[in-house]
Order: sequence, then structure tokens, then C-alpha cells
Amino acid sequence: MSVREIADDPKAYWSGLTRAEQGVSGFIIGFVVLLVGGLFTGILAPTYFLFLVGLAGMYSLLSLGLNVQWGYTGLINFSVAAFFGIGAYGTALASASSSPIAGNLAPVVGLLVALALAAILALLIGIPTLRLRADYLAIASIGLAEVVRIIILNEEQVTNGSSGVRGIPAFFDGWPLLETFPQTMPNIAVSWLPGGTVVLRQPFWSALLNVVVVVSFIAASYFVLRRAHRSPWGRVLRTIRSDEDLARALGKNTYRYKMQAFVLGSLIMALAGVFYAHLNLFVAPGDLDPITTFYVWVAVMLGGSGSNRGALFGGFVIVAIREGTRFLNAFEFIPFDIAPLRLLLIGVIIVLLMRFRPQGVLPPQRELIWPSVVDDAPEQPDSGVRGAKAGENDD
Amino acid sequence: MTDSQASQVANSDSSSEEVAANMDKENVVLRVDDLVKSFGALVATDHATFEVERGTITGLIGPNGAGKSTLFNLISGFYESDAGRVEVNGTDVTDMEPYDIADHGLIRTFQTPRKLEGMTVREAMLVGPREQPGESFIKLFTDPESVRQREQQNLDDAEQILEDFEIDHLATQPATKISGGQLKLVELARAMLAEPEILLLDEPAAGVNPTLRNKLAEQIRRLNEQGTTFLLIEHDMEFVMSLADPVIVLDRGHVLMEGTPDEVQNDERVIDAYLGG
Repeated sequence: MSVREIADDPKAYWSGLTRAEQGVSGFIIGFVVLLVGGLFTGILAPTYFLFLVGLAGMYSLLSLGLNVQWGYTGLINFSVAAFFGIGAYGTALASASSSPIAGNLAPVVGLLVALALAAILALLIGIPTLRLRADYLAIASIGLAEVVRIIILNEEQVTNGSSGVRGIPAFFDGWPLLETFPQTMPNIAVSWLPGGTVVLRQPFWSALLNVVVVVSFIAASYFVLRRAHRSPWGRVLRTIRSDEDLARALGKNTYRYKMQAFVLGSLIMALAGVFYAHLNLFVAPGDLDPITTFYVWVAVMLGGSGSNRGALFGGFVIVAIREGTRFLNAFEFIPFDIAPLRLLLIGVIIVLLMRFRPQGVLPPQRELIWPSVVDDAPEQPDSGVRGAKAGENDD
Repeated sequence: MTDSQASQVANSDSSSEEVAANMDKENVVLRVDDLVKSFGALVATDHATFEVERGTITGLIGPNGAGKSTLFNLISGFYESDAGRVEVNGTDVTDMEPYDIADHGLIRTFQTPRKLEGMTVREAMLVGPREQPGESFIKLFTDPESVRQREQQNLDDAEQILEDFEIDHLATQPATKISGGQLKLVELARAMLAEPEILLLDEPAAGVNPTLRNKLAEQIRRLNEQGTTFLLIEHDMEFVMSLADPVIVLDRGHVLMEGTPDEVQNDERVIDAYLGG
């Protein structure tokens, strides 16, 4: 679906969407209108808005990564926060001025270090567990998340321990032109807004650059994943998810495929960590709290397991809930503090989702065959993702 | 009961002397030699020995609990054997991983048809072909053209075979929404896309209505004429006796006898095994 198709015949494009897609599109349009309204009336500061977009992008990356593992392959990984943290600490320790081991390297080197560390960690946990049934990976990954967090907290000579790593440069540090972009951009005063004059200063341009970073990370990951999802490779992963024994009987080395999916997903999670480190410019062991894992699982289930678009959507919704609940306190007619209830709210959403739409909001909608091989891809009815897992009946 | 006791003695004699099955076949695809598997105290496969000749449809029958499915799982690598040897085309594949055994040309199906959630029938079919370039993650990006060509060819093959099976109208249906019998046909068709030299079918006719069952038998016969060797477990006597020759009878984990359908049906030991014991 290219942009040109939409521009040529918006009506036909709209009617070609499934109901779920129409609903989500409508929701997104409404949400964007709301945000733009907030921006124009001055309720939402532009810099803060861009920060939120960056955060949503980060969660989307994490969801895309988990979606490769759980959504495609059925691997239960409860150590999303660990891979996120490894990504963040990898780049932080390489590039930060306060890093106890290396420090002051270019952020691109930090990116590579982070990816390498995440790949190694994924291999280390994958080698013993991926030959076993899915449950073992789940259990091992819960332990892994805590082990990684506690090592980072306690190995002070390597990680600075609980005081965290400060002095992380922005991602474009050392790049020509982009490095000084926020300083060289003039302060632009926007005075035509109804909410009063807003001056776009240096922090705004920095935030804009961060959005550029996360959007390019997402675009790269999405490009890779979309191709992989529609390929025979992705099809083997989906077969493993439904029935690993069948894949093995048809001559597929399922251990190898599971390992590839696990490493790929972990790399994308580490990418989110890299972005976070250069967004926040400070990382601490608290960033590896298991709550991140929980949020990302919610995002993937909400969006629809196995669907890349669903993962993107889920990431944004999580940030909307996490940050949006802060604004609800502004409504004075609500007699209690809402923000602390956001976990409860997420719980309620999950219960409702599982009851009324267990496949998620945007489950994979269409047949996944290599593009240009089929031109008449039929629509697929929604199908639940909860089914018999491999290895349970082996008769 | 003296009869059955006598036959038990005869059984153990025959298994130790390895005369129960015909071991003088000329062109052997699958050779199972003295295979043993026990689960705790239960000996599920007890020195089973037999051969499958190329180009045949060999039936494997036996009363409930005779160890047919265990034997299939041992041959195809899903269980590890305690002792004995399995050869495919003269290569020792004992205790190899199932995907390695599949690479040697032995493909199996399952008793309960396996559903692939979220796939259409033709998508599920495309899992069948072995060694697709598109199954390598790297090639998706370095050589997308060969991936596309192979995918196109596989899709054509899949649609052709669905047409041969007269189920091409199901091609774009969700793989989870077709009947049990159709699922069995799809499973057989998919296994054929893996181009097996020998195909192990685990109760292909179970739970299939009579019309589809005839169709299934017809397809198995047709594919056999085109050169595929079959080894099939079946409970439906009419189905297996009309299709298979020779028939191997399994009882309590070992081979009781082998013969033509007529010989098997009139053999007293077989009748004993099914009725008494």
C-alpha cells in the first residue's frame, strides 16, 4: 500500500481495509487531532510532545523485538528489560564521559557494542533453553532479567553501580552538521497559536533530532521485519509457533530458527536501549526494572501477537496510557488521584482484551506470501493466537 | 488361554530368530533392525525388525497398544531408541534429529492433523518444500530474486498438487477452518511437497468420512504409482487391506508376522493378537 495509492483513490483504499484497520485508522486520526489540538492551545509543550513521541518509539521498538520472539515464533521471553538494559548500558559504557571502563567513544561505536553484547547474551541464554520446551525459556528468562540487573547494580568497577552512568553524549555527537544542529538552529517564536507565543529553542531541536533517531531505528527494523515476516523464513517461525513437531517432521532445524528469531528480537530490543541512553543521557540500574517487560508484553498482546503494525500501535498506546494518565489529574471533577491507578487501568484493559478480542487489535490480517508472487492475497478472518503449543501432545 | 500362551512362546521365538518379517527384499528404502524402546517397565518396542521395499505401500497394523505410534516416533527421530538401528536408503539414521532424517528422504505425518494457526491452506502447504533459499534469513536481503523465483515455483507446485487432490477450492481458506478429512488431505499434499522417498502416514483414514477416505486411498495409490514408497499405520482394516501389500503385524512391540493382506487376515496368530492376549 503506497502513499500514491491512497492519494489516487482514498475511498477505494478505505474500503479495502479490514474493519480492524478502519477502526485503528480512525482512532489514530482522532488521537492525532487531539494531540495537535493540545499543541495549538498550549496545553502540550512541543518539546515535551517530542519527548513523548521518542518514548513511544522506544516502546514500539521493544514491542517489535518481542513480537519476533513471541508473535512469530512463540518464544516466551520475560527478560525484555534485560536486553533493553544491555543495549542502554552497552552504549553508555562505551560513549559516556563517566564510564569506568571505556568512555568517550563515538555513539555509533556504542551502538555496535550494545548490539554485540545483546547478541552474546541472547546466545548464552538461548543455547541451553531453546532445545527444550517453550516453558523453560520463560523460566530462565525471568531469572536472566534479575541476574543482569543485579550484576549491573553490584559490579561497580565496571558499571558505576547504583550511581548510574552520566555524561552520555547525544546520538549525533561527532557527526558533521547534525552535532551542532540544535545550537545553530535559530530560536523560532510561534506567535500565531491561540495559547500564546511558544518559542522553539535548542531543547526543541535536540528533541527533534532524537525523534529522527528513533524513527530511523524503527524504519530500519520495520523494513527488515516486514520482509522477514512474509518470507519462507518467517513461515517456518510461524509453523514452529503453531506446532514445532510438524516443522521438525518437515525437515526444519527448529533450534536454529528459534535461535535466529531470539537473537534478532533481542537486537531490536537493544536498539531501543541504545536510543533510550542517548535520549535520557543517563542510565541507572533502575531502568532495568521488570515493569518495562510487563509494559512491552501488554503492548504486543494489545496490538496483536504476530503483527508488526500491531506492535507499533501497542507501543504508542502504552505511552499514551502511561503518560496520558498524568493529564487526567487536571480534571478537577475526578475526586481522586488517577495516575497511580494506571497499572490497574492496564490490567483492566488486558482483561477486556482477552475477553472480547483475544487476538489483539490489529492481528496479522493477510496471507503472508513473498510479495509479487501472489497478487490476489485474500483477506484472512481473525484467528486467535492461543492454541496447542508444540510438544504437548506427541502421539 | 493355552492357545494364546502358546502363541506368545512362538512370538518370542520368532523375534529372536528374526523370521517374523520378510528380510530378503531387494530394494530396501527403510530397514528397522532390532529396535528397542521402553518407558519405565513398559517395553513399547521390543526388538522390532522389518524392511520396507521401494515402491510398495506397506501396511503396519496391530491391536491398540501394540506400539505402532512409538515405532513411528522412533523411526522418524522423535523418540530416542534404547537399542537397535534404523536405516534409510542404507544410511544409518538411528537417533538422528527428525529434520536430519527428513533430509534423508523420510517424511512423516501425524495421527492428529496439525493445524497451522493464522495461515491459509496454500500458505500452510508452502512450509512443505525442503531447502528453500527463502528459509535463510541472510538470503532474504542478499538474494531476494532467487527467493522470489523459488517461492513462485513452490506456490505453483502447491496449487498443482491441491488441484490433483481436487481440493484447490480450499487454497485460500484459513488452514484452521477446514474439515478433519480435508486436513488429512492437505497434510498428505504438504508432505508430498517435501519430495519424500518414503512417507510414513500415521492413521491417515482416522476420522475421515467414507467419501474422503476413498479419495485419500485413491491419492495414496496414485502417488505410489508415481514412485513414492508408503508405510502406513491404520486401524481401518478395510482401508489398509485394500491398499497395502505387504502388511506387517505388530503385537506388543515386536513384529508378529508379515504377509499379503490375505495371509494376514487368515493367520491365527493375528486373530489371537486382536481378540485375546
